[in-house]
Amino acid sequence: MSATIALLGQPNSGKSTLFNALTGLRQHVGNWPGKTVEKKEGTFTHKGDTYSVADLPGSYSMSANSDEEVITRDFIASGKADVVCILADSSQLERSLFMLADYAGLSAPCFLVLNMADVAKEQGKKIDANKIEQKLGIPVMLFSATDTKSYDIFYATLERAIKEKSHINVSALEAEYQKIDGYQDIQQRISDCTIPGYTPMWLTVKILEHDKVVTAKLKNALPDEVMKHIEQQTKSSETAIAAGECKFNWIDSILSGAVTETKTKTTLGRLDRIYTHKFWGKPAVVLTVLLGLLASFIPALPIMGIGSGVDMVNGMIRSSLMETGTSAFLTGLLCDVLIQSLSYVIKMLGFVFGVTLVFGLLEEVGVMARISYVFDNTMGKLGLQGKSVMPFLVSFGCTMGGAAGARVIDNWGQKVLTIALAWAVPCGAAWAIIPMLSTVFFGAGAPLVIVALLLVMILHMWITAKIFGRKLVKTEDKCGMIMELPPYHKPKWGALMRYVFGRTKDTFFRVVKVVLLVCGIFWLLSYGGSTGENSILEKFGLAIEPVTKFFGMPWQLFLAFIASSVGKEGAVGVITALYSGGSIGTAFSEAMAGGARAANLNELLLANVTRPEALAFIFAITFNLPCVVALAATYQEIHSVKWTLKIALYYTVSALLLGCIAYHIGMLIW
Amino acid sequence: MKMQKLLELLKDGHSRTIEMLASELNTSADDIRRQIEYLEQIGAIKQIAFPAGKSCSGCTGCEGGTGCKGCMPANAENNMGEMWEVVT
Repeated sequence: MSATIALLGQPNSGKSTLFNALTGLRQHVGNWPGKTVEKKEGTFTHKGDTYSVADLPGSYSMSANSDEEVITRDFIASGKADVVCILADSSQLERSLFMLADYAGLSAPCFLVLNMADVAKEQGKKIDANKIEQKLGIPVMLFSATDTKSYDIFYATLERAIKEKSHINVSALEAEYQKIDGYQDIQQRISDCTIPGYTPMWLTVKILEHDKVVTAKLKNALPDEVMKHIEQQTKSSETAIAAGECKFNWIDSILSGAVTETKTKTTLGRLDRIYTHKFWGKPAVVLTVLLGLLASFIPALPIMGIGSGVDMVNGMIRSSLMETGTSAFLTGLLCDVLIQSLSYVIKMLGFVFGVTLVFGLLEEVGVMARISYVFDNTMGKLGLQGKSVMPFLVSFGCTMGGAAGARVIDNWGQKVLTIALAWAVPCGAAWAIIPMLSTVFFGAGAPLVIVALLLVMILHMWITAKIFGRKLVKTEDKCGMIMELPPYHKPKWGALMRYVFGRTKDTFFRVVKVVLLVCGIFWLLSYGGSTGENSILEKFGLAIEPVTKFFGMPWQLFLAFIASSVGKEGAVGVITALYSGGSIGTAFSEAMAGGARAANLNELLLANVTRPEALAFIFAITFNLPCVVALAATYQEIHSVKWTLKIALYYTVSALLLGCIAYHIGMLIW
Repeated sequence: MKMQKLLELLKDGHSRTIEMLASELNTSADDIRRQIEYLEQIGAIKQIAFPAGKSCSGCTGCEGGTGCKGCMPANAENNMGEMWEVVT
């Protein structure tokens, strides 16, 4: 005797394990004719009989949603298989028996394998296969395909199914279907031979589910007026939902009394009860983020120490160079540009490392997912969809990533608004230079500045949404999302550290390039030589200073602000060049009694820039446009020159305005 | 009609977790999961796929299509959970 078995099951039902165990090396892998779907066939012998096995492609159901499903369905309907072995995952029968429910009504004989019995047992589920068999009318077995010793029962069940040519008892299922409006009407118009291999019940259900392939086939098989009548009945989308509902009800009735489990009631964890709380959710999340930011100062401090060490070495090198009589130009180039830049870059890396570590950790353990949940409704108030929160979160790393992430939003206006708001989120480069500058100017007060920046960010986004929202988004009915929050879990430290170090390394190379280049250019422009005459840049700077002072910034900081539009790191390069290399440095050190030429830049900065000015500068560069590349990325996503420029101009103006406000508030404080 | 109710529920604009839906509709989380699976199959809802993490093709950590290391840690999307939106 020889027989053909078809293996049918949803992905992850253990189909491949069973197929491999049955056929071993006697497999043939090819493609289904005309399709790119893999076709796996094999043979095995048992008790002298030869069986061929077709491993049908894994699919969710018997509907024609994919090539896999059409292939599966056609193969079964063709009658090539003597018996179909339907696999279900015992650990989640409610879900995985859906395939069986969808199969019911096809004419090929079948039997049911409740696979992964071991997993179900571990979960404390007791499954009575006999009871299920009685209700279904086909052989049913509890099985574990990974357990090679248990295959005798499989062979026995297989033989029984072939001998009995067993079919699923569909009366209970059909009774469910009959409750659907229009079911009986349609079913009466189809006969067993309308399309061979399919029963009228099965075909009717597929029509109700709006199955395109079945509908097309019926159009050929049935008279036009009958088909028109049928299509009238199935216009509403609810029929598909109703048909699914029937299958679920039937599955539940099959399982009831056959599966006993020690019910673990799904309750929210303690943390989730806070995060998903209607009132406390938002404060909890904001607090988490703030604490995270403060925590990122901890790993940053030792690295900052190294940066300060470089400052000291710089002073020593400078004085020894002066003693040996090296030219002032070379000394300046080496100490003011090269080493000073390096010192800043190292300090910046401290924060990049700290912030990346802390937020990578929050992400890894699953807190970020809660953040996106909590702010879902807030997004709605801004006229955005809940999923806009994802681009915002990505923008903390890189605004370009955020802009690309906005692709997930289909509506153009909402996409533009999302990107416009994402610009207000300080990016990775801002997180490098802002804490560094804050520490230089405000010392222990730096964390407070960061907190203030974050609060202003929220306000900024709110105002920006109000300004642009009216033109970009129409108020429309918004549907809530369904979210599956990931379980909290321990971070994978290896992957996390690789990410943190990788990012720190990338930032290092990028920042070094930008800072050195910008610093070098501005240093050369401002280099006054030994004549003590003002450089062209300084003359220009002094000329525009009356205007820049209005925004609370001396001309040097204003130029740094302009440079930050290209890339935020550029601002540091400008500061380094203008405050250490230019005549200010010289004038300052001459003014110092004893001519301590080796005065370090931090002291120079503190002596030349007042705290309100520093505050103005920090606010202005934080909320300036992120960088030119982000500008290009924005254009790439929204395809509108007008809106890209509009947003860019808005950010430049609002950044200066924020700087101005910060300056005046600073004047009140200090 | 449980699935119809589920869709109706979301029309108020509020997002919900699977557990919340389960308690509001007085059923189990597994029941909600199979409903989501089915609704997704018939195209009533769709899963939101975030391009970030795979490749944002822009940020500084990106390696031209092979994956973005800059925006988020590797496989970060696995830690962000899953989201579905109603197809309108």
